[in-house]
Amino acid sequence: MNSWLRFLLLFVVMVFLQVTVGNSIHLFGVAIPFLYIYFIVRLPLSLSTNWTMTVAFLLGLTIDVFCNTPGMNALSCVIVAALRKWLLKLYTPRVEDYAEVEPSIRNFGLSLYVRYTLTLSFCFCLTLFLVESLSFFDAGRLALRVFSSTILTFLVILGMDSLTKSGREKRS
Amino acid sequence: MRNLINFLLKHSSWIVFIIYAVLCCLLLFGRNPYQRSVYFSSANRVAVVVYDLQSEVTNYLGLRKANRELQLRNGELEMEVINLKAQLNSYRAAAGADTIPFDSVLHDYDFVVARVVNNSVAQINNYITIDKGRAEGVAQGMGVVDQNGVVGIINVVGEHHAVAISVLNPKLRLSCKVKGSDYFGSLVWDAVDPHYAVLEEMPRHVEFAPGDTIITSGYSSVFPEGLMVGVVSDYKKQRDDNFYALRVALSPDFGCLGFVRIISNSQKEEQERLEKEARYE
Repeated sequence: MNSWLRFLLLFVVMVFLQVTVGNSIHLFGVAIPFLYIYFIVRLPLSLSTNWTMTVAFLLGLTIDVFCNTPGMNALSCVIVAALRKWLLKLYTPRVEDYAEVEPSIRNFGLSLYVRYTLTLSFCFCLTLFLVESLSFFDAGRLALRVFSSTILTFLVILGMDSLTKSGREKRS
Repeated sequence: MRNLINFLLKHSSWIVFIIYAVLCCLLLFGRNPYQRSVYFSSANRVAVVVYDLQSEVTNYLGLRKANRELQLRNGELEMEVINLKAQLNSYRAAAGADTIPFDSVLHDYDFVVARVVNNSVAQINNYITIDKGRAEGVAQGMGVVDQNGVVGIINVVGEHHAVAISVLNPKLRLSCKVKGSDYFGSLVWDAVDPHYAVLEEMPRHVEFAPGDTIITSGYSSVFPEGLMVGVVSDYKKQRDDNFYALRVALSPDFGCLGFVRIISNSQKEEQERLEKEARYE
């Protein structure tokens, strides 16, 4: 399928899933799965950082509209999009090998993909909850929310990635 | 000039990043939350389609509980009507007919029933989206209650949908009192547990005990006096020792709001105008 169309579809599906399912889950009253950042994680690395940030901004803003939090998700998404390539450079010396691929377990290998996704989830949750706590600060609860949501988001993204076509091909 | 263009091109991702970050901060801090436009809230056209769809599916899940609560509440109200009728009759008999004044306090209030299409309890600033809007007579600043008690205040109004600030939002302060006394404090959520909120600034000499009912004070024009808010579960001294902070178990279950009533007060504008005038004097 045309890759533009595929990502447009992924955008819509991610927003829909996040709004109808993700936002209604709060495990133990603290952990929220931000599964929609899978879209940013998944964007091909051949896409320039400027475009990645633009798309991430639009994605975040769409989620914000649904959650009545203008700017909050958008800011976190833009930060994640900006950090993406830089992080990869930090984790692998051979960044040229990955210059054209879509990040996935198959293309990255499990170890690199886990590090990449976990760090991005953490950065996202940290900025999101920091911005949110500007209106009400409670350090212990903030840390708890950040860590539990990071783990949950990471697990959901890992699960979604192994459900996609590339993940299945690897297993068979 | 060429140097400048080269510089811009070289650092373009920084510049784009800064532009977006500034844009986000403008959205975050630039607007007064009370004047937010309807397009940036969950009452806009696309969002309500999704939420309507979702609530069509999920509304059935809470019906059994909502039904039981309604039956209970209905029973209570029936008992109250019977009691009041009996009282009224005895007063009539004592004072002679036609001298009992019409109950004008509650007559000013009217209500619209709406369905909750979206609702959150996990965030710090929680909002509720409902499926009634300007066309049905909902306006900004109206109170929202469900069968168990006070739920929130309308914030943004669209054509057929509206967004209310939930009681579970530190931006909302609700004027409340302990039933049976006239001292009031303000109820605010401490962003920890969606079942509890804190009633602050309660003078120390007010007598109360855990288990006492907390009701709206009626001092703001949003809610009439005497609406159920919650039950005192615990209390502690506030920092300056002259006040108590009461931990209140909220009576509505915010996890499964189904149908709510939006209360409009026909006297509200007059009351607010008078209060404003009094302030400027």
